[in-house]
Amino acid sequence: MKVRLASPITYDSIVDGPGLRMVIWTQGCIHNCDGCHNPQTHALDAGYELDHEELIQQLKESRLQKGITLSGGDPFLQAKALIPVAAEAKKLGLDVWAYTGFRWEFLMHPNNPSHNEHFELLQHVDTLVDGRFMKEKKSVDLTFRGSSNQRIIDVQKSLKEKVIICRAEYM
Amino acid sequence: MIKEVSKRDGRIIPFNEEKITRAIYLAACGVAEREGKKADYQVSEALTKDVVSIINKKFLHTIPTVEEIQDVVVSVLIHHGHVKTSEQYILYRGERSRVRDSKSRLMKAIKEITFMDAKAADIKRENANIDGNTAMGTMLQYGSTVSKEFCKTHMLKPEHTLAHEVGDIHIHDMDFMNMGTLTCCQIDLLKLFKNGFSTGHGFLREPNDIMSYAALAAIAIQSNQNDQHGGQSIPYFDYGMADGVRKTYKNSYIKHLRQALQLMLGLKDEEVADVKDFIEQLEEKSGYKLQLTENETYKQLEKEGLMKAFQIDEKLAERVQTFSSKESYKETNRKTYQAMEAFIHNLNTMHSRAGAQVPFSSVNFGTDTTPEGRMVTENLLLSVESGLGNGETPIFPILIFKVKEGVSLNPGDPNYDLFKLGCRVSAKRLFPNFSFLDAPFNAKYYVEGRPETEATYMGCRTRVLGNVCGEEIVSGRGNLSFTTINLPRLGIKHGVLSQSETKLDDFFAELDEKIALVIEQLLERMQVQGNKKVKNFPFLMGQNIWNGSEKLGPDDTLEEVIKQGTLTVGFIGLAECLKALIGEHHGESEAAQELGIKIISHMRERMDQAAEQYKLNFSLIATPAEGLSGRFTVIDRKKYGVIPGVTDREYYTNSFHVPVYYKTNAFTKIAKEAPYHELTNAGHITYIELDGDPTNNLEAFETIIRAMKDLGIGYGSINHPVDRDPICGYSGVIEGDICPACGRNEAESNVKFDRIRRITGYLVGTVDRFNNAKKAEVYDRVKHF
Repeated sequence: MKVRLASPITYDSIVDGPGLRMVIWTQGCIHNCDGCHNPQTHALDAGYELDHEELIQQLKESRLQKGITLSGGDPFLQAKALIPVAAEAKKLGLDVWAYTGFRWEFLMHPNNPSHNEHFELLQHVDTLVDGRFMKEKKSVDLTFRGSSNQRIIDVQKSLKEKVIICRAEYM
Repeated sequence: MIKEVSKRDGRIIPFNEEKITRAIYLAACGVAEREGKKADYQVSEALTKDVVSIINKKFLHTIPTVEEIQDVVVSVLIHHGHVKTSEQYILYRGERSRVRDSKSRLMKAIKEITFMDAKAADIKRENANIDGNTAMGTMLQYGSTVSKEFCKTHMLKPEHTLAHEVGDIHIHDMDFMNMGTLTCCQIDLLKLFKNGFSTGHGFLREPNDIMSYAALAAIAIQSNQNDQHGGQSIPYFDYGMADGVRKTYKNSYIKHLRQALQLMLGLKDEEVADVKDFIEQLEEKSGYKLQLTENETYKQLEKEGLMKAFQIDEKLAERVQTFSSKESYKETNRKTYQAMEAFIHNLNTMHSRAGAQVPFSSVNFGTDTTPEGRMVTENLLLSVESGLGNGETPIFPILIFKVKEGVSLNPGDPNYDLFKLGCRVSAKRLFPNFSFLDAPFNAKYYVEGRPETEATYMGCRTRVLGNVCGEEIVSGRGNLSFTTINLPRLGIKHGVLSQSETKLDDFFAELDEKIALVIEQLLERMQVQGNKKVKNFPFLMGQNIWNGSEKLGPDDTLEEVIKQGTLTVGFIGLAECLKALIGEHHGESEAAQELGIKIISHMRERMDQAAEQYKLNFSLIATPAEGLSGRFTVIDRKKYGVIPGVTDREYYTNSFHVPVYYKTNAFTKIAKEAPYHELTNAGHITYIELDGDPTNNLEAFETIIRAMKDLGIGYGSINHPVDRDPICGYSGVIEGDICPACGRNEAESNVKFDRIRRITGYLVGTVDRFNNAKKAEVYDRVKHF
């Protein structure tokens, strides 16, 4: 399956989760948050396509990385294509962070038309930073998120307990 | 009739016939003197008439230049058979023009230093740590300019001057050649403090508490800096300061014991006056010296002593003891912090070298596992973390944390907590850097319990450890001088980018020539240095900082003792050299990496051979190229044009580094550069550029430092932007013009953000003071992602 990307993988990011991380920059976002850090990634038809197999190949070249981060753009617009990528990352011993403009409640809601693929992608995600970026809630004191409304969610715990559990060490 | 002459500098002056006569007469005198005759002034006058008549015809409608008139004089002399006089005249003329050239070069440079702002004049920013805008900075630059010119014309062999001028080599710190200074030194504080020392202006007793230990350490650095042209390094600071902590603790313990007794028993001052003797007798009896680690035998003896001397019960004695240890520990820790804070402040404010510079200081530490040594390390790091008066990042000293398995690297190691703290501080302040004692080329010198065998680095990356002339230790030794070879030029001359094919044999042949030339030049300079006397370097040699100087008197020359130092060949631009040779640099292909290692291995072998041949410490350094990073490139671009990937930037890449503009990841960069650390025995450093503020992600920071250790790096550090808004005090990354904390726009205000960056291993407060080539390099730096 093809993944639409905004730019090549970033190795060694230090701002998209703990440790050194490979960041996959997906292209396309519908949230259109005011003050977005990456507005060039919004257009749904910009960027370029890459087969998910190729992405997986690149993950295998990771050396010092603690994990991967799905960012963009909104990776949940391409959840289906990213499922095998996230699954492979887990197999390689990498942890998976994902950023999304959707809220956890929406992703988990049965009426969400893409609920199934979102739910499946979350099976392979360790940490989710959810919610739109809100300029008025921006602060430089925040770690790994732009505005204070966003939550850093422990996905596996939250799925298990069926209630949102945040990662206290980052909030 | 000729009336005017055009001078070299463009001025038109009245023609004076007599000047020609005098010049001819002078030349004739020179010849006559050699032949035991007398020159005839009248003959000179007659010849002058001839010259003038030719000039009158030749320059009927134009004004002749001085050169043109001299040409006519030569031809008239030859025409009349005065061949010897003509030769003498030509020599005399040549001599004059050399002096004149040198004079006008000098004046041009001095004009630039005097009238141009440092922002506009590159010469004023050759060294980022001298403020070329200040009076004393200008004075220093005057001196340096004159001295350099003198060395070029009167000290160096003409072939060495030429090789330097045309850009084949760069003789570093040439302006200090005539002074015979050595580059730098690793100061053993323990040796210096024992029995006190003199700065030349007064005697200082052996210090008695940590405050004076730290103050004297700063003074030692400052005093020694004035005797050298490079930086100063403390090789094992924690060991050096630990005694100061011990003494402070003892003093504090005595004080608190007195206080406790006075308070609990209502005693007067004179009734507790003997407490010091009391404690010292117990020390003698128990064989234990009062220190942070407590001792049961001593405690027991002390308790019994107290009970007896002051007629108190066991419980009260114990209370007095507990109070005293607890309070003294607290006070010692606080004093140590203050001492380290003062040390940092001192090193950023005290001046050396006519007030134009703060001393270039480096401090190595991290392996002393005693509670006292650890207290020094911890407080040193904490005081750097909290910054200077307004929270600014301290520029000095360069801190170097020694990483070693079993000591500081892994959980469970006694100093692992300090290593973690080092990472935290470096993530905020760019220092400490990290040196790796387990790298095989460092480990082979290591002897447990002997800190002088632990590899240390001087800020700019210099490493002095191996020794063909004595003990293989770091203390009391340093670099004598170093000269850098322009590798890209050799690449261009013999490579595929300018030739049809790569001619490696020719490349290596010419590289060998250059190495031989530099070896000869280093030896010549060493002769100048060796002829100096102890009294020329009153601190370095007079106070026995330098190894072996303790055996010399003030009028003894230094030729024997300086053999402890290193003679060093450096190189710049391996990346551009490879690009020019085979079309790719070592970041781009394995083949280029192989060739790169081959070239640098060859240079190292030549150094080892020279060390063997001369029984001197010849060694190879990955040149820290500050003033140099642009000089070679400018000359080469003029000579060979713009060659993509070679001369198309403002600078040549630092030593063996993968180019800063080349996108690669941290792992690959470290892996590519590590093999060169082993080869460059006189010093090396690897940098990783990080985008963003690593204080929020120490895990990532530590990952990189560990990767350096695992891949065989000797000395490394992480670069990241350290910006600060002086108005709101925010410290972190400031992208663009807007402060993310207070929203202030820098462009609309006179108060600019501080942007601390690293240059040649030293931190510089604003990008303004970088020279043009370095500025370009900073802008080109690609974060490794």
